[in-house]
Amino acid sequence: MSGHHSSSEIAVRVRRLEERLIGAGLTSDDQLDTIIGRVSSGSPANGARAVARAWVDPAFRERLLADGNEALEELGFSMSRGPQPQRFTVVENTPSRHNVLVCTLCSCYPISLLGPSPSWYKSEAYRARVVREPRAVLAEFGLELPADSEIVVHDTSAESRHMVLPMRPEGTAGLGEAELAALVTREGLIGTAAV
Amino acid sequence: MSRVNDVGGQSGFGPVTVEDDEPPFHADWEARVYALNVAMLREGVYNLDQFRDAIERMPPGEYLAASYYERWLHAVETLTAGHE
Amino acid sequence: MSEPRFAVGDRVRTRTVDPPHHTRLPRYARGQVGEVVEVQGRWPLADDRAQGFPDARVEPVYTIRFSATDLWGPPGGHWVQVELWESYLEVVP
Repeated sequence: MSGHHSSSEIAVRVRRLEERLIGAGLTSDDQLDTIIGRVSSGSPANGARAVARAWVDPAFRERLLADGNEALEELGFSMSRGPQPQRFTVVENTPSRHNVLVCTLCSCYPISLLGPSPSWYKSEAYRARVVREPRAVLAEFGLELPADSEIVVHDTSAESRHMVLPMRPEGTAGLGEAELAALVTREGLIGTAAV
Repeated sequence: MSRVNDVGGQSGFGPVTVEDDEPPFHADWEARVYALNVAMLREGVYNLDQFRDAIERMPPGEYLAASYYERWLHAVETLTAGHE
Repeated sequence: MSEPRFAVGDRVRTRTVDPPHHTRLPRYARGQVGEVVEVQGRWPLADDRAQGFPDARVEPVYTIRFSATDLWGPPGGHWVQVELWESYLEVVP
């Protein structure tokens, strides 16, 4: 987790930084607490809801793929609460194409919708390897794709934030939207799992 | 100059390690650093691109040894150094 | 404001640059030829914003698709899409 420093040393350093910035009038304990509370409201469940809606409603799916920001507003979500405006782009998996997401330069991720990203997504190992050997990386996640399936790796290098629309699993025709949403994992939304 | 964070395509990083059921923050201080950065961005003390730039300017050895939120801490400290 | 220089379907080459400042053109995609798959709209240039320039250039951003074989040689077999500001791109003669 930490490099050369113990967690308690860092905690002290953070507290000193906090005190200095609060003392400078740049923030407050209340504001910081509110921000922490809000980031916890982001969750893969939000993305799962959009996926489930797209699976049951073909017109919504079209709208989600055409303009992710507008489609999210229909569900009561927004990508506009962050520090800079972001364009939300949904990419669809099909039997012949599989999408997987990365930010090789840092770790850009749709945090305001999905919550904080997993550590593996931010790791050098993932960021370095998935653009170059996606099949091998996906296999490490337990995802084996057909040999004739095209893989597209999306490197989030600008102001778009992406989410994968996974394929609806077989045998789910009888399930309602909430049950479908419960099938969708964070890995499915990033592209390192089928769903 | 090519920077240490620009790792796309580089070799030698080994398998991707996955932690199951990972919490968003592994320690309280990580959440505080996250919140401090958001607050400073909102206050306009610096912008997101300056924040990324500050992380990228870490000496490569420090960058690679640092955890994710340690890098954030470095950036926030550096970019707010003049503020008391 | 000028029109986007490139359109969907255009082949473009990324600049071969190694700037001293923050940029969002990954090293693996420098000096490479790809295809425009999407024209995204205009955004302030990250390079300018990172240097604190008060009037960051606002430019179109494009989704460019590269073949992995072009980027790193065989076996490749997949595509890499990167989102790049207009000033990172050149016409392919």
